[in-house]
Amino acid sequence: MEQQAFIGRIRSALGRASTTAPNAADLCTSRFSAEQREILERIHNRSQAQRRRLLERLKEMAAPIHLNIIPVQDASQAAAAVADLVRHKKPEWGEQKCIATWKHPLVEDLQLANVLSDQQVPVYVIDPNDRQFKGLSAAQARQQLRTRVIASYIGVTAADYCMADTATLVLRTRPGQARSVSLVPSIHIGVIHIEQIIADLKELYALLLWDPEDRKEGLTNCMTFISGPSKTADVEATMVHGAHGPREVYILVITNSAAGQILPGR
Amino acid sequence: MKVEPMDEIIFADYLAETRKALKNQVLQHALADLQNRFGRGTALAYQNLPEGPDLRLKAHEIRMEAIGNLDVLLATLAGNVRKNGGQVFFAEDAAAAVDYCLGVAARHNARLAVKGKSMISEEIGLNRALANAGIEAVETDLGEYIVQLAGEGPSHIIAPAIHKNRDDIGRLFADRLKIPYTNDPPSLTRAARKSLREKFLTADIGFSGCNLACAETGHITTVSNEGNIRMAITMPRVHVAIMGMERVAARLQDHDMLLRLLCLAAAAQNMSTYVSYIGGPRWKQQVDGPQEFHLVILDNGRSRILADEQFREMLYCIRCAACLNVCPVYGKIGGHSYGHPYSGPMGAVIMPLLAGINAGRDLCQGETLCGACRDACPVNIDLPRMLLALRAKLADGDDRWNVVRADRGEKAAFHLWSWIIRNRRVYEFFLRLASWGQRFFPHHNGMIRRLPPPINGWTRHRDIHPPAAQSFMQRWKKGL
Repeated sequence: MEQQAFIGRIRSALGRASTTAPNAADLCTSRFSAEQREILERIHNRSQAQRRRLLERLKEMAAPIHLNIIPVQDASQAAAAVADLVRHKKPEWGEQKCIATWKHPLVEDLQLANVLSDQQVPVYVIDPNDRQFKGLSAAQARQQLRTRVIASYIGVTAADYCMADTATLVLRTRPGQARSVSLVPSIHIGVIHIEQIIADLKELYALLLWDPEDRKEGLTNCMTFISGPSKTADVEATMVHGAHGPREVYILVITNSAAGQILPGR
Repeated sequence: MKVEPMDEIIFADYLAETRKALKNQVLQHALADLQNRFGRGTALAYQNLPEGPDLRLKAHEIRMEAIGNLDVLLATLAGNVRKNGGQVFFAEDAAAAVDYCLGVAARHNARLAVKGKSMISEEIGLNRALANAGIEAVETDLGEYIVQLAGEGPSHIIAPAIHKNRDDIGRLFADRLKIPYTNDPPSLTRAARKSLREKFLTADIGFSGCNLACAETGHITTVSNEGNIRMAITMPRVHVAIMGMERVAARLQDHDMLLRLLCLAAAAQNMSTYVSYIGGPRWKQQVDGPQEFHLVILDNGRSRILADEQFREMLYCIRCAACLNVCPVYGKIGGHSYGHPYSGPMGAVIMPLLAGINAGRDLCQGETLCGACRDACPVNIDLPRMLLALRAKLADGDDRWNVVRADRGEKAAFHLWSWIIRNRRVYEFFLRLASWGQRFFPHHNGMIRRLPPPINGWTRHRDIHPPAAQSFMQRWKKGL
């Protein structure tokens, strides 16, 4: 119907018949090359020293875009860093402090509910499969979770990767790993392990295309790059942070190599 | 100035708007500042690319391949989007696209729509159609929000409110948002943040454009710094993305280079703050994201451009606005003079092609052909060549594009000129005539101050040298 006519118009504009059009699979499939193999090998064989250098690069690129990188030894130090932020930062929209988190091994390892209990700050895990939603319809659970994300002033997520060259967190969406947690709260904290730092977009695309685990999952239905806090320069080209998304973004980088074992797919 | 959708576009009075713009000191300052920062920043960023500035040429080839196989790419894209659970609609023109959007909104009883900045929604006149259907449509990019509150159109693709200063915006917000007057940019941004957060959290439907789609994976990519697009396509129940049919890359591998060049060209950034790859609605187990995802792919005159090899290159454009940031003409006259959201050099080519070459003649004749736009273009589009091709059509007329010869007098004058310079004696005669006649015009310091009509335009702002008493040829014959 409308698609056929539409494509037909393009075809005649290109001056070819449907039989002379190239094969879609040939045209729209990325090709594995020696260069791609090299990139993959480079990523998988990175030494500790090289990882450290990538972390330094990340810090260097993050500074000018007001993205805060906090290297920590392990999960307990990371949790302490979160607790510190919770103590010192005030909510933007109300009085009550509460935080929303992803359900992800790296985040769970922080045991935030325990760590924040003395500050009496509720920690909402944004997970529809949580026991407390048993008996509720999916829509009801979703509605409750949405309310909680909106009420939270800090959102804590993990990430799939972090690209050092552009200081970019790469987040894929999965059940329990909602898009809104890194978006709606005023402060976003991303927790990553040093092994998740890669150099650049080329490395990311090579992983997405050729790494067996990543390839299986693909880009999911929403892959998001986050490079620093939300910003605008629409009033007289004056830079202001916190246009619609988070006003502040922190990346906690866990450097202890053993901690990487809990990453999914390892 | 209110911007009209293309089907009933009446080009603004280019000359009148231009005169107004030149007198507008706020605009002149803003444009100079914009070009100084972004124009230079982007040029520098190209030099610092790891692959070197030649990456633009590589990107040109990739775009050429994609546009040359657009039939296959779009069919593959549509198939993959549907496989991911999204719905695809191919819209032949603006009316079909608008009807589809209204239909989706009606099915979901939408009362409130939030929009990410998208020039293509301006192209199809979506806001007005939504308003007529009783749906409140709120622009959420801060610049777009400002111009929407002011009842105007954007004057730059990525900096829509560049023509307004902080005092204008302060008064506008005091009036429309009922806040105490302030001209402090952070305070103004906070006021908009607060007001728009309400909208994001209560909207029924979110509209976005599409910076770049990928046929291989079936994703569209949106790019923003504010996070408004993420909000608009995450929080409402439905997401409708509208893309020009040319905005597709074949493979994920091509996407890498184009995305990087887009961010560099648009704002000299290594990476914009937010990039989202959207591949369909939320899954059953997911907490958020829209329950429906619609992709509207728009032709609206683009297939006609595709069919003409002279102009096919225009479809390589990724709407980054880099050419606006270096153009000496845009830099003085601003976006509103072009009469449409597509402004600057790219607008001067695409608007005549989309809305009629005769109607858009001032646009393509107003540019200088200096070539700055080509050098700034991340995909190395030869805009000056196409500006010249459009002018040639205006000079000679063209049946394929329904162009009527713009100026018969001009053609006749050039015929006459051509005859004169090919006949030495006639030429000498006119030289002597000019040499003799110039004494009747007012002089000052050895220069002619004013020429008579119809050539008085030349001396309106400057003097002209009088012809020499003896021509070079006369002196040559005398042995110099």
